[in-house]
Amino acid sequence: MNRVALALVLVAAPSLAAAQASRATAGGIEAPRSHPLSGAELDARTSDIGALLRCPVCQGLSVADSPSSMARNMKAEVREKLAAGYDQEQILASFERSYGEFVRLDPPMRGVNWLVWLAPLAGLAAGGAAVAWALKRSSRNAGAAEATGPASAASDLPSRDTLPADPRLAAAVRRSRELAYGWPGGIPPKPRSSAS
Amino acid sequence: MATAPIPGAAPARTSRMNPWVLAGGLAVVVPLLAVLVLNLGRDPRSVRSPLIGRAAPAFSLAPVGGGAPISLESLRGRPAIINFWATWCVPCFEEHAALTAAARTFREVHFLGIVYEDEEATTQAFLAQRGSSYSSLLDPEGRTAIAYGVFGVPETFFIDGAGRIVEKYVGPLDRGTIAALIARAKGGAP
Repeated sequence: MNRVALALVLVAAPSLAAAQASRATAGGIEAPRSHPLSGAELDARTSDIGALLRCPVCQGLSVADSPSSMARNMKAEVREKLAAGYDQEQILASFERSYGEFVRLDPPMRGVNWLVWLAPLAGLAAGGAAVAWALKRSSRNAGAAEATGPASAASDLPSRDTLPADPRLAAAVRRSRELAYGWPGGIPPKPRSSAS
Repeated sequence: MATAPIPGAAPARTSRMNPWVLAGGLAVVVPLLAVLVLNLGRDPRSVRSPLIGRAAPAFSLAPVGGGAPISLESLRGRPAIINFWATWCVPCFEEHAALTAAARTFREVHFLGIVYEDEEATTQAFLAQRGSSYSSLLDPEGRTAIAYGVFGVPETFFIDGAGRIVEKYVGPLDRGTIAALIARAKGGAP
């Protein structure tokens, strides 16, 4: 029962957040949702929120990092709103009303933005699946090669006893193997343990 | 090529494409190319203003040279053009002449300038030298510019008689564009 409730909450949360965000965007001035800040806390929160806002006149700089007068004015406005008791989301939404979502350096999880958050995870999962599949296939091929002997290995990849078709190159490869691995004549020793 | 068979030699490898790799590659590359092609003609800095179609943000600002503050409220009932400008902005010079002429032609429209990041003295000298047929307001802390989502100057907002933003124009205006956008601001009035 609890699990069902939790699942419902998890499913509903993004849409609730979206609804809340659109209400905040559509509405005018709302009442402050937090308590008024002052002193060191006000300074700290001002730079926290400044770091989440894009400076509109800069190239990829946050309001907290930019020395431009526009960013200074925006910081002053953030500070004033924090001192009046507005919370972070209300302040970000107020700038978003003027500049659009562009002004947020940390895009909120709603609408098409979910793609930004989910695509890397999906990519990771797909990549992991591809690697797992390739590993499984190569170990199956290696098993088949061991069972039937090296000459009839079905793998596309060269095995340790593959030789190039060119006889001179093949001789050089054999010589290299002899030097590198100490195999007499460059011929790999028979596997110690057999699959069968 | 007649060569002695070499024990363990690899069979000649044929180059064949794994269809899954091909499909995966296309699935990544095609959407990226589509996004690129669709956005080639777009200026990455011009973000469509979310204010278009919404009520223009309120303000009450003192005019350059002193006088009673002018508020957005006081402009209600007639279309308004609000031009953000600065004396350090070269395109604003050309635009200033066009706006001054248009303000004389379109008497039924409110024209207002809002000075963006500039000194009052410099602005006053500029207006005295070039003349103006409408007021420019001072926005000392840039609050009004921020509320209107101004990225730079010149930017001009066309507001209908109900106080709704009909269009935002980025860059210097000429007389033809001003006339066309005024027609839209009038059409948008209820």
